[in-house]
Amino acid sequence: MIELSGISKTYAKSAVKAVDGLSVTVKDGEIFGFLGPNGAGKTTTIKALTGVLKADEGAVRIDGLDLAADPIAAKRRIGYVTDNPELFARLRAAEYLNFVADVYGVGDAERRERTARYASLFGIKDALAASIGSFSHGMKQKLLVTASLLHDPSNWILDEPMVGLDPKSAFNLKELMRERAAAGKTVFFSTHVMEVAEKLCDRLAIINRGKIVFMGTLAELKAQRGADGSLEKLFLELVDDGEGAQA
Amino acid sequence: MRVFLSLTGLYLKSFYNLPGKASKGTKFDPKAALKALGIGLLIVLVVGQMGFLFGASNLATYEALAPLGLQGIVLLNVAVIATILTLAIGFLTALSTYFMNDMELQFLAMPIKPRQLFAAKFAAIYVSEAAISVFFVATALVIFGVKEAPHPLFYVWGLLAALLLPLPALAVSYLIQIPLMGFARFLKNKQAILIIGGVIGLVLAVGFNIYYQSILGRLQDPAWIAAHMAGPEALLTKLGQAYPPAYLTWRALSSPAGWDAALSLLGLAAVCLAGPALAILGLSGRYAKSLVGFNESHIKKLGAGADAFLRARLVRRPAFLSLVARELRMMNREPMYMLNGPFTIVIGPLIIGIMLVVQRDAFLNDPDMAGVLAMLRGGAGAVVAALSGVFLGSATSITCTSLSRDAKALPYLKSLPISAGRYMLAKLVHGLVFAALGSAMGVGLVAYAVRLSFIDGAAALGASLAMSALLNLGGLWLDTANPRLRWDNPIAAMKQNPNAVIAIFGAMGLAGGGGYLAFATGMGTGAFALWFGLVPAAAFVALLLPYPRYAARRLAAMEI
Repeated sequence: MIELSGISKTYAKSAVKAVDGLSVTVKDGEIFGFLGPNGAGKTTTIKALTGVLKADEGAVRIDGLDLAADPIAAKRRIGYVTDNPELFARLRAAEYLNFVADVYGVGDAERRERTARYASLFGIKDALAASIGSFSHGMKQKLLVTASLLHDPSNWILDEPMVGLDPKSAFNLKELMRERAAAGKTVFFSTHVMEVAEKLCDRLAIINRGKIVFMGTLAELKAQRGADGSLEKLFLELVDDGEGAQA
Repeated sequence: MRVFLSLTGLYLKSFYNLPGKASKGTKFDPKAALKALGIGLLIVLVVGQMGFLFGASNLATYEALAPLGLQGIVLLNVAVIATILTLAIGFLTALSTYFMNDMELQFLAMPIKPRQLFAAKFAAIYVSEAAISVFFVATALVIFGVKEAPHPLFYVWGLLAALLLPLPALAVSYLIQIPLMGFARFLKNKQAILIIGGVIGLVLAVGFNIYYQSILGRLQDPAWIAAHMAGPEALLTKLGQAYPPAYLTWRALSSPAGWDAALSLLGLAAVCLAGPALAILGLSGRYAKSLVGFNESHIKKLGAGADAFLRARLVRRPAFLSLVARELRMMNREPMYMLNGPFTIVIGPLIIGIMLVVQRDAFLNDPDMAGVLAMLRGGAGAVVAALSGVFLGSATSITCTSLSRDAKALPYLKSLPISAGRYMLAKLVHGLVFAALGSAMGVGLVAYAVRLSFIDGAAALGASLAMSALLNLGGLWLDTANPRLRWDNPIAAMKQNPNAVIAIFGAMGLAGGGGYLAFATGMGTGAFALWFGLVPAAAFVALLLPYPRYAARRLAAMEI
């Protein structure tokens, strides 16, 4: 379970709050979509949630563990797919997976079995001896997804995971998200692709200018807006409302 | 023309990492000013050293030839050496910048003519070539000018010749490289180029060092200089007479006031400008074509062996060892990091080793050195050995750039369940491994050169290890306090990182200051062991204990 309570963050070189008093709870077994335009605060929220950034105010709890008070134990329960797959270009894919497995304390049998499973699913098993620097953007993304699942985390956090993936891999990733949610694990992901959010999410939140402008199910969003449009249309209306209010 | 100028400007900014124009209302940044001052001091130091080297060799040659009335040959030699120097440096620069990054592939998709693209790159590289040439020729002009008081036009022709001489050298570099890139596919890879360029650079540096060391002791012998360096039968003189630009330069500078000089310079301009003109007119298309497919990667497939591979390679290790292994791999597999980091403990002893091998007998048998040798073997040798070990052990820039080099991966690393202290201490262990190797190399080299006793050698090694460890930890504190977190090119994280410059100057200052105190106070073995061994070891422990908490606080505060 993921709990964000009153998270605020202002970057040192900015006078504007990137995230402002944000509170979200994602229950076990839930797929939660996090939507918003560029610069709305999605990545800042995810960075605060994964311990990459220290929030100025508020608290993050992962499976009931306070991220600030017990960061190592809390982070062990997270599998994180960053939005920037340009990592460790000089390592070979297998070395990278071994490193991640060592850091999470995954046993020999589990790391081999999970690597084989996910690397096969995403079609990169054959390339595990190669240097990450020689991988395409999509292959790096698939490697990151594989690495994030090596310790079978109870909370899976993905920042723009569909970027660079081919249709088959995107489909496999969505299936994996459903599978994990069905197994009682939490899936939290950000995306710009409305169709993905519409079809996949149990609940979603829309963030604009650092504040949540909507949180709930798609049906609740439609009921609230009194419209029967697509998520894309509702999203654009909400974001435009926010811009109008600012102006 | 506008496209050419715009591209040249872009290349110049990229090559030399020039800052952009400050916008109106930009506040004074003391950190940036301090950095600019540090870089300025470094440039003065390097230029001063090179100026001394060039000036000393030109002066020695002049003084050897003047009594024979052959001093004019100095000018011929200057033109030949300026050409050789710019050819060597230009070839390596052209190779390392042949393909900068994917930005150049985007240029190919823009309405830019191949001639504009190639000419812009040529012009950008020419700037550094011209600076080197002008600097080298200027040292000769000053010496010749002071000694001979020539006509003022001598300086004008000299400056123009210095600007023209690198042009054919750079054109020749491209005349070799462009066709080579066309058929040698393995060369179309940045890493292969870096390694090949590094090896060529190393061979040139070692070759120059052997040459320089071998003539160093003979510069006082005018007859030898006349016969081997500047006499009518010397190789340099023959090369000068056979190479038209050198010959024309010599003619223009020998009697600068006459029409003959002006005509020679016109001839020089025509010959030198023909090189780039031919290269740009004839090879631009092939150059642009050769950029296509650069850095293409070919992934080797595991096929049926994939499962066996996973069984063999995916093996559990303690997390800390895994962190240290990552540090080693990430640094030593990036040529830019490896050549400017750990490799310094190989190249340093190699250069000093050549000096020792070439001059060891002369040094040991020189009667003037008897007193120095007695002092070195009587205890001071341990100090010198320890300090050379300290210098090598702290010269790798591993710890003082460690966080900066990790900047791109830092957000991901911070999300992993590892404490900041352990993560940073893995970097320290990486630095200490090479500090131990550097110490062993530095101490071993001096111990061999002056035939130190075992006790003195062991004491020197202990002291070197303690001081190197302290300096490496100091470097880690420095990069934790002030890392360079935003960069596009690995050079910026390593070579252009102010922390590396501060750490090297700090190590030099400590080694120099410590050495001075040791000699000034006539330190005995006991005092030496205390001040150079135990005190740095204690300081290391004192700095190490609070470090993990400091690192945790700093990393938590970093907004990346």
